[in-house]
Amino acid sequence: MRRYGPAVLLALVGAAILRVSLFSDLYLRYVQPGLRPYLVVSGVVLVLLGVAVGVLVRTADDGEAQEDLGAPAGHTHGPAGPRVAWFLTLPALALLLFPPPALGSYSAEREADRRAARGVGTFPALPAGNPLDLTLGEFGSRAVYDSGRSLTGRTVRLTGFVTRDADGTWYVTRLLVSCCAADAGAAKAEVRGVGAPPVDTWITVTGTWHPEGEPGSDAAWPPVLDATSVRRTPQPDNPYEKR
Amino acid sequence: MADGLRTALRILVHTVLGGAALITVVTVVSVLGPMLAIDLYTPPVAAWWTVFTAITVQGVPFLLLGTVVSAAIGAFVPQRVFQRLLPRRTALAVPVAGAAGVVLPGCECASVPVAGSLMRRGVAPAAALAFLLSAPAINPVVLVATSIAFPGQPEMVLGRLVASLGTAVVMGWLWARFGREEWLRLPKRDTGHEQGGGPRAFVSGLQHDFLHAGGFLVLGAAAAATFDIVVPSPLLEVFTGSAWLSVLLLAVLAVVLCVCSEADAFVAASLSGFSPTARLAFMVVGPMVDLKLIALQTGTFGRSFAVRFSSATWLVAVASSVLVGWWLL
Repeated sequence: MRRYGPAVLLALVGAAILRVSLFSDLYLRYVQPGLRPYLVVSGVVLVLLGVAVGVLVRTADDGEAQEDLGAPAGHTHGPAGPRVAWFLTLPALALLLFPPPALGSYSAEREADRRAARGVGTFPALPAGNPLDLTLGEFGSRAVYDSGRSLTGRTVRLTGFVTRDADGTWYVTRLLVSCCAADAGAAKAEVRGVGAPPVDTWITVTGTWHPEGEPGSDAAWPPVLDATSVRRTPQPDNPYEKR
Repeated sequence: MADGLRTALRILVHTVLGGAALITVVTVVSVLGPMLAIDLYTPPVAAWWTVFTAITVQGVPFLLLGTVVSAAIGAFVPQRVFQRLLPRRTALAVPVAGAAGVVLPGCECASVPVAGSLMRRGVAPAAALAFLLSAPAINPVVLVATSIAFPGQPEMVLGRLVASLGTAVVMGWLWARFGREEWLRLPKRDTGHEQGGGPRAFVSGLQHDFLHAGGFLVLGAAAAATFDIVVPSPLLEVFTGSAWLSVLLLAVLAVVLCVCSEADAFVAASLSGFSPTARLAFMVVGPMVDLKLIALQTGTFGRSFAVRFSSATWLVAVASSVLVGWWLL
C-alpha cells in the first residue's frame, strides 16, 4: 500500500491545483489571472502523472521483485518516496478543504505606505463615464502625481475594503499584487463625509476627489475622496488589483 | 477461486476499516474544527496561510516545468550532447552556461532540478551552477518585467543583466577553483536502472524530482510566510538613511521575502525610499539566494553545499551590484 504513496500524493496536489484553478476562481486569492492556464495544465499533468506512477508500481508488482520507482540504490528514502514530499499534503489539503481567505485589512495595515516613486507629470485623459470606475491604484497615482489634475470635477467610483486608523479616519483600501499574494502592497483613499462601515467590509464608494497639497508632495498622500454614497458590495472575484 | 475470495475479503476489510476511520476523522474535524478555528484563526494566522499557499501555488507550475525539463534531460538526452555543446575547458564552459540561462523562462524553482540533472549528465558542476544562478535572473520574462517596473530607466535593466550574469560567472569560476566534490551530494538516482532510459525512466524521474523538490518548496514557502508575517515592514524603512546599510538591508530582505524573480522588480520599484544601488542589490540577490532556494538546494545538493554556496553567492551578488550600481546608476 505504501508504495502507492507517491502516486496518491501527486494526484492529491494535482486535484488541489485543479480545484482552485479549473473548478473555481479561488486561485485569484493567491496568484494573478494570467497564471490560470499554467495552473490548469500543471493540475492535469500531475493527476495524469499520479495515474502513470500508480500503473508503473502495479506492473512492477506483477512483474519483477519489489524494488523500483523512487527507491533507487544508495538513496535514503524507502518505497514511499522522499519523506520530505509529505509536506506537500499541507497546502494541498488546505486548498481542497479550507481554502485560505484573500488577504485583507490585517495585511493592508502592516504595509507601510509604499507608493512607487515616480515623477510628477501629466496623465492621459480619463475616459468618459459618470460616475467613472477607477482602480484605487489609478486613483492614487492621478491624485498624487498628476500635474494636469485630471481628476478635478470628475465623479469617481472606487471598490475596496474598509480600513481604519486609530484616530477614526477611514479608508477604502485595495491590495496590489504583481505576482502572488506574498508581494501584496496597499493602495488606499481616505473617505470623508460618510460614516465608516465595519473594518474589512467590501464597499463601493462614489464621490469626488478632494485635492490636498501640491502634486508629488507628502501632503498629497493618501488621496482624499469626498463621498456622496457608500454601498456594500460582495468581494470581487479578483480581490486584488494588478500593480 | 480461493484467491478471488481472498481479494474480495481484503477489499471489504479495507473499505470497512478505511470508511470507519474516515467517518471518525470527518466527525471529529467537523465538531472540533469550528471551535478550534474561532480560537486559532486570528488575522495573522489567516494571512500566514494565504501567503504560504500563494507561494506554493505560484511555485508549482514552474517547479513542474523545471522537473519535466530535468527528467527529459535525464531520460532522453545522451551525455555526449552536452560534451559537444559546451567548451571542454571549464573556464570557458562557465560563461557559456551562464549566458545559456537566457533560455529557461521561469522562476528560480525551475532551475535547481535542471542544474542537478545537468550535473548527473556529466556537465561540469561549475558550469551547471553558473546556469543555475543566471537562468532565473536574466531570462527575457524577468528583464521585460524589470523594464515595466522601472519605466524610463533602461540602465536598471542593463544593470540587472550585467550584475546577475557577472555574479553567475564569478560563482562558476570560484567553484571551479575552490569547490570540493565532497560538498556536493548529488542523489545518485539513476544508478539502479540507468539502462532503462525512455518513457519509464522519464515518469519515475519526474515523480521523484517533483515530489522531492516540492516538499522543499513547501518548507521554503512556510519560512517566507513566517517572515512576511513576523517582520513589521515599517521598521525596515528606518534604515533608509545610510547608503551602505540600505544595500545590506535590501540584500537581506531579498533572502527572507522570497519574492519570485518575475515579481521582484515590482517590489523593488515600490521600495522607493532606498537608493537605486540598494534596489539593484535586491533584484540581483533575490533570484539567486532566498529561503525557498536554500531549501530547494539543500534537498537537491545537500546541506553542506547549500550553506557554503548560498553564503558565497550572497557576498558575490552584493559586491557585484555595488560595483555595477556605482558604474551605471
